[in-house]
Amino acid sequence: MNRWPGSYVPALVVAVLAVLPVVVLFGLAESPESLLEARNLRLLLNTLLLTGLTALGAIAIGVPLALLTAFVRLPWNRLWLVLLAAPLAMPSYLGAFTLHAAFGMGGELENVLGLQTPSVFGLWGATLVMTLYTYPFVLLTTRAALLGQDASLVAAARTLGMPLAACLWRVVLPRAATAVAAGALLSALYTLSDFGTPAIMGVDTFTRMIYVEYNAFGLGRAALLSLQLLAIVGLVLFLESRVAATPERPGRALVLWPRAWQAPALLLAISPVILLALVLPLAVFFLWLVRDGAGGFEPAFAWNSALASGLAALAAVVLALPVALAARAGRFGRLMERVTFLGFGVPGIVMGTALVYLGLQLPPLYQTLALLVLAYVLRFLPLAVGSIRSSVESLDSGLARAARVLGAGPREVFFRVTLPLTRRGVIAGAALVFLEAMRELPATLLLAPTGFETLATYLWRMYEAGYFGRAAVPGLLLVLLSGLGLAVMLGGERRAEFGLSGDNRS
Amino acid sequence: MRRRHFIGALATAGAAGALGGIPGWPVHASETGGAAKATLADAPSVESLPSLEGKLTLYLGTGEGGLYENVLKAIEKRNPGLELGIRRGPTAALANAIVAEGQAGVRRADVFWAVDSGAIGLVNEAGLAQPLPGDLTGLLDPVFRYERWAPITGRVRSVPFHTGRFSAKDVPTDIMALPESGLRLGWAPAYAAFQSFVTAMRLLEGEERTAAWLQAMARNARGYAGELGVVMGVERGEVDAGLANHYYTLRLKAGKPDAAVDMAFTRGDAGCLVNASGVLAVNEGELAVNFIRYLLTREVQSYLAREAAEIPLVHGVAPPDGLPPLSSLSPPELDLTRLADLRPTLDLMRDAGVL
Repeated sequence: MNRWPGSYVPALVVAVLAVLPVVVLFGLAESPESLLEARNLRLLLNTLLLTGLTALGAIAIGVPLALLTAFVRLPWNRLWLVLLAAPLAMPSYLGAFTLHAAFGMGGELENVLGLQTPSVFGLWGATLVMTLYTYPFVLLTTRAALLGQDASLVAAARTLGMPLAACLWRVVLPRAATAVAAGALLSALYTLSDFGTPAIMGVDTFTRMIYVEYNAFGLGRAALLSLQLLAIVGLVLFLESRVAATPERPGRALVLWPRAWQAPALLLAISPVILLALVLPLAVFFLWLVRDGAGGFEPAFAWNSALASGLAALAAVVLALPVALAARAGRFGRLMERVTFLGFGVPGIVMGTALVYLGLQLPPLYQTLALLVLAYVLRFLPLAVGSIRSSVESLDSGLARAARVLGAGPREVFFRVTLPLTRRGVIAGAALVFLEAMRELPATLLLAPTGFETLATYLWRMYEAGYFGRAAVPGLLLVLLSGLGLAVMLGGERRAEFGLSGDNRS
Repeated sequence: MRRRHFIGALATAGAAGALGGIPGWPVHASETGGAAKATLADAPSVESLPSLEGKLTLYLGTGEGGLYENVLKAIEKRNPGLELGIRRGPTAALANAIVAEGQAGVRRADVFWAVDSGAIGLVNEAGLAQPLPGDLTGLLDPVFRYERWAPITGRVRSVPFHTGRFSAKDVPTDIMALPESGLRLGWAPAYAAFQSFVTAMRLLEGEERTAAWLQAMARNARGYAGELGVVMGVERGEVDAGLANHYYTLRLKAGKPDAAVDMAFTRGDAGCLVNASGVLAVNEGELAVNFIRYLLTREVQSYLAREAAEIPLVHGVAPPDGLPPLSSLSPPELDLTRLADLRPTLDLMRDAGVL
């Protein structure tokens, strides 16, 4: 047997770490009796419908926006990108709640503007909300892949007479298929494990049954149902793994300059997304803030959120790198990479409880910031792995080999060739983990040090108590802080672009 | 505004002297201290309690979040030497965490305050609750005395009905007869309090009769997400009557005094079960017990009665306005901790197609 690739050992450690909570779930779960009752099938159908529709919706919105933000030079480019990615910073249950409150009979839109609107409810309402808050997954992963594509192929196709639209469809997008699939996978997994939105929208899904059991002190059955949900997650992971990637030669990305009338038209076209996903919920928050007033908020909550999420983002990309590299190195590496995705499909409260059991194995760590960060990393590692992997897969492996031939050691190749070329994926991955950790709630409630209040926990507390106005302050701050985080990270991405092609770009 | 009064009042109770002279303080606090229950001592005032010193970790299972927070703030303000760490979370999640900590031999919680006696039962069953001294549990009405936990406030199951078309005598006094009463009914099967009620019915009437009752109800009942929704549905006339905890009707009427809804109570069955929020000490020691004493003072009890319309369970504090005195109700006799056994209840409800 050949020697193991260097990335396998650290990847194996990470994979074992990631699978631990699932092992705990097996320990907690009771023996299965009635796997396939008629009502379970109905729940399963609802769950699959919501997940499938959301993934399609996320692609339908995310891919065009990725093309737009990657290639087209719009005025205030970066602002639009930050705004379009910002729905990631909004907990989807808040979006669901505000959209539900805004639309329909007696909704805030009718109260304030006198507009008659249909209500957002049921399967379609849930799909709309989940799509609006998960399409940025597709946007970010696809955009990172698009920016890594060498524009010379498009130039060649255009020279041969292919129109631009056909070029995008037949030359550009097929090469970004892995990234699109990775993003759609993340949005599907997020939807599978989300509870708040289906509950508010009145859709009976798998997660709802898990919550009913959990709250009825049936931890064993909730764990069993979570494992069944994991089977669906496994299926989604398998489907996604069938999508093959194309290796990419590094080069300059395509740049399109819109004509004078095209820029406003394009901005007008993206405005409904920003209006629905961001402006409307924020407006509802402001309305409640004005109506109910604020109070009791401490800036320390924002710092706590940023600290824990920042550490988690850092740790997640460090751990995700070997996994992403291993996925490229061979079949076993691919398996290890798939394994790290499992945790993302477990509903937060069940995962939180599994991590309590895990954390209690290390009592000095229990209820410390370190364990909370570890929990975030285990839960959101797939975000970093997925985004780094799609940039790794587009790497031309010949570059690394060339460096080796020229006398660089494996370590030097990693730090001087591989790492710089995957920087864009690393940054996107860190951004995703940061944003997800900012809005995570159930594991934070269970695992944070006692009295460690974050924006999300404070928001939840105010919402529970019915102080919607006070929920507005942390809600707005959560979006603002995540927006800043996004801006900083996307700024870093730009430096990475210069670093890659600095010689011909000044 | 009243909330702020409460905090100020509890914090300065010692300095202000006589209780009646404190602004915003309920003057009816001892009205019900009648001769009938003279054997019970009146609930103490916070003034008579030792001050709390040291570190205490409270696991607060939320639900009525905001109101309990005000009580805690007031206790902290009154006891500057108390270092109170609060871990908040969904009640079931915290109960599971305490059990996991117990299994691992790690004790982080000193006190667990839960909105739901089922969560208390779960921790109790795991053998993690400490016995409480007799002089503390002795403050409670005899039916609410438990060795290892203390109910804090009560809530009674009720049948809210539309007052425009019906009166209390149109509602059967037997919960088992409700489905055949001809009334259009509203209920919230996914709601925790409703599930506790079905558990009580299962324990009192047996599985077979409960299953039949659920099926009969399912044929003509309209489902709501929560029990406030049920009461609002009754008030709007969407249904004639419903099943809900008493405080939803009282809270609705507090905001809308002419609301067309009132409550009827069944007699001697699960339909008028009195359930409770409760507290238990996970760690031994004076501090945890003394902290619990604060929750059973007349100040805290009358605050929760007034602001949350919950039923005070200590002697000498008036029940919320609009609720008949507990002595006129005939709740079934049932150990509340048995309500933690929700599993068979959920199976019944699922088989009947209501969940």
